[in-house]
Amino acid sequence: MQPQLIRELEALLGPKAVLSSAEDLMLYEYDGSVDLGSPRCIVFPESARDVSGIVKLANRYETPIVGRGAGTGLSGGAIARSGGIVIVFSRMNRILEIDGANLRAVVQPGVVNLDLSRAVEHLGLFFAPDPSSQKACTIGGNVSENSGGPHTLAYGVTTNHVTGIELVLTDGEIVRIGGKNIETAGYDLDGLLVGSEGTLALVTEITVRLMRKPEAVKTLLAVYDTLDDTTESVVDITVRAITPAACEMLDGFTLRAVEDYVHAGFPKDCAAVLLIEVEGLKEAVEAQAAEITEVCREHRAREVRAARTDQERNLLWRGRKEAFGAMGRISPMYYVQDGVIPRTRLPETLRRIEEISKKYDLQIGNIFHAGDGNLHPLILFDERDTAQFARVVAAGGEIMRHCIEVGGALTGEHGIGMEKNELMPLIFTPDDLALMERVRTAFNPASLLNPGKVLPMGKACGEIRVPRSPAAAAMAT
Amino acid sequence: MSQPTQASFTRLEEMVGGSYVVSDAAEIAAREVCGVRPTVVIRPADAAQIAEIVQFAATEKLAIIPTGGCTKLGIGSPPSRYDIALDLSRLNHLLAYDPKDLTLGVEPGMRIEDLLRTLGEQKQFLPLAVPLSERATIGGIVATNSSSPLRHAYGAVRDFCLGMEFVTGEGAQAKSGGRVVKNVTGYDLHKLLIGSLGTLAVITRVNFRTFPMPQAQKTFIASFSLAEAAFDFCRSVAHSVLTPQLVEVADPSAGQLIFSGEAFARILPGQWSAVITAAGQPAVVDRYAKELGHMAAAASAAEFLPVEDEAHVAMFERIQEFPRLALEAAPGAAIFRLSALPNAMPSLIAKLTAIAKQNHADVATLARVSGILYAVFVAENAGSVASLAAAIPEVFRVCSQPEMQASAMLEWCPKELKTAPEVVWGPTRPDFELMRRVKNSFDPQSVLAPGRFAGGI
Repeated sequence: MQPQLIRELEALLGPKAVLSSAEDLMLYEYDGSVDLGSPRCIVFPESARDVSGIVKLANRYETPIVGRGAGTGLSGGAIARSGGIVIVFSRMNRILEIDGANLRAVVQPGVVNLDLSRAVEHLGLFFAPDPSSQKACTIGGNVSENSGGPHTLAYGVTTNHVTGIELVLTDGEIVRIGGKNIETAGYDLDGLLVGSEGTLALVTEITVRLMRKPEAVKTLLAVYDTLDDTTESVVDITVRAITPAACEMLDGFTLRAVEDYVHAGFPKDCAAVLLIEVEGLKEAVEAQAAEITEVCREHRAREVRAARTDQERNLLWRGRKEAFGAMGRISPMYYVQDGVIPRTRLPETLRRIEEISKKYDLQIGNIFHAGDGNLHPLILFDERDTAQFARVVAAGGEIMRHCIEVGGALTGEHGIGMEKNELMPLIFTPDDLALMERVRTAFNPASLLNPGKVLPMGKACGEIRVPRSPAAAAMAT
Repeated sequence: MSQPTQASFTRLEEMVGGSYVVSDAAEIAAREVCGVRPTVVIRPADAAQIAEIVQFAATEKLAIIPTGGCTKLGIGSPPSRYDIALDLSRLNHLLAYDPKDLTLGVEPGMRIEDLLRTLGEQKQFLPLAVPLSERATIGGIVATNSSSPLRHAYGAVRDFCLGMEFVTGEGAQAKSGGRVVKNVTGYDLHKLLIGSLGTLAVITRVNFRTFPMPQAQKTFIASFSLAEAAFDFCRSVAHSVLTPQLVEVADPSAGQLIFSGEAFARILPGQWSAVITAAGQPAVVDRYAKELGHMAAAASAAEFLPVEDEAHVAMFERIQEFPRLALEAAPGAAIFRLSALPNAMPSLIAKLTAIAKQNHADVATLARVSGILYAVFVAENAGSVASLAAAIPEVFRVCSQPEMQASAMLEWCPKELKTAPEVVWGPTRPDFELMRRVKNSFDPQSVLAPGRFAGGI
């Protein structure tokens, strides 16, 4: 990178806000998964004006720019694939306003997801999207990726909770779209921007909805001896119009790894468990918990028990949220997928994954958001074994193709990024992609903003990128 | 601007079949948009025909407006060109419905009533309780982002629409989103089509998630002599653990339209009414009755009235149809759809009332307390558009005040008032340039509904 650009960035932001030494840059080569990419410099803006200044400089030097929150993303969204400047939002981490009366908060993009919920807890409120990485991931990142989490089954994903955004466009202009209101006359630009994976504009301020905490919460653990009984229970819960706040599944292999690590109280000799949470008025919670228990028993659940204390409940959730971490203890590396399927297709899909696991002689763990059909198969491998690695790629592709065949999608919450962009043609026609490309160009004409993400580059059509770095796996939660 | 020639008619007839290209006076008149009439009405059978028609129109420089039940064609500013009304009534099929997955895919020409009937057989529904529901179609509801009181509990179209297929202004068939309930594969382009008044693309399929019908429902009306008291009551509900299906506040004039019949005799004229519907298991509904009763007493409500069964259904329908009822009562009314923060609503209503008074008009308001407000302005002298013309810019001015942070759109008004896009959409906003870029991406030649949208898009 031109030393002149570094000097100009330092003049703009101060020398402490610019990193360019080789050892500093290494820390920003990876995110929560997928590949590596070496940025040429890292900058830490403190305001939208700083960001605007950086963007103007990047334009002048025709240098790519990539926005980055905590780097917990699972599809390479924050990787500097083409080098350039990585803009880290960690210094823009202030909660600017909490408007409890109107159930809104205004935050900078670097605010950590869980910190917002903690900041509004005393008002009986919370921020609904709850990715497993919520202790670390930022709301700016959530907006870019349209992040979900277990409780999005009831509350929706990030896009359902954003009413306004301040953007820095690729020419450095600062623009506000939406606001605190639930709608603004005009096109739904918020709807376009949320989930655009940092390819349309940089987000410098976000107005989000806050939710009121429910009166009662009940967390149930249903234990099964077969996978089929487990998945059939999920289908039946959906069919009977019971709407839990969360419905998560862990298969036996995964929960044994989790139990050794977290000691959440999962029985180690079962085929799978469902972790189901119901929320609302206490009358509704009791009735729903009773119905769910009945469904699970009808499908031969060996045991259905409710967490008796907050501590028990938290432990069960810790087991779920730290499951990816637990996998790191038993395998040098794993590849997590994020396919979504219609919920009625769960039983056959789990059987298919089992077949694929046998066919390729790979260990595949299943832990996922069963209630909305969002799968997270974890394929374990050792990256030193190249023959095995080839099988991982093939197995991953087969699982993905199955999801598409049954009417599903490539990613439910992790994003396309640079992991799946070459798979986009499996879902979208050339005309679909041409329109998306045109919208991207309308916002990001020179493709300086997060290049090589979301849309296929056309170089390796149909290829999935599998992470090789163990460090990436350690980040993934 | 060019007119369709005889040769164009022949070409269009070849595309869809002669009987589906219509130019008789009644059909043309039914598809008038703000005083502008098309030359021809075309009824395509499918997306492929639509793509062909749009490509042809682009080449011939003809302008197209997609139409459904023609209930909301008056929304938006007058089109700058309008040659072809693309009647989507033949695309009226439910393409996929998986009740066990609670998802469906439907063509735009299907009437919402027909769709709701099919869903009802499975004890499911879509929370689209929109005005003019007898004739309203899915495509029209999506394209106008029609307001439903059930948004309070279920969100708006953007929240439960999973994906769409559509034909762009260049005649390309495209799609975004999908059929599954959680999906971040690619840009959410379909969200842009919601409320776009047909200016970006012709919708050919919409995928929704459906919702299970609640076991029981009951409405409670608390009436107050002051607006503040009614909104305070709603605030106490919002700050409680209750999560009602809808929360609305009707001012005395709106109340007169909504509460008709003996069941509502106890609601006296001049009262502000807070309307709250509870839904769920019977035990839950009973709990609402108890808690809301306490809250109403604490707020010194003049009346607290439970409404159920037929009276509930009738009243719900009148809330749903409020804009239609208002227009029937005063055909020359100007109806604003405003978006405001819950806490700003009482002062916004006070300001709207002052604007009406200054301009020799009356205003009736129905607030969806989570953020949408209908304001119906009626001139005291029924024939006078001048007083409304004077009031309209004042409404936009009040909305832009920093303490209001409100947004407004003039949804219905006499066409004579629509002399410029700003009359309908208010002053151009800073993000307009981005909307223009979006329009250019979808419809670079402005084939689709030119001039109907904000800023003359």
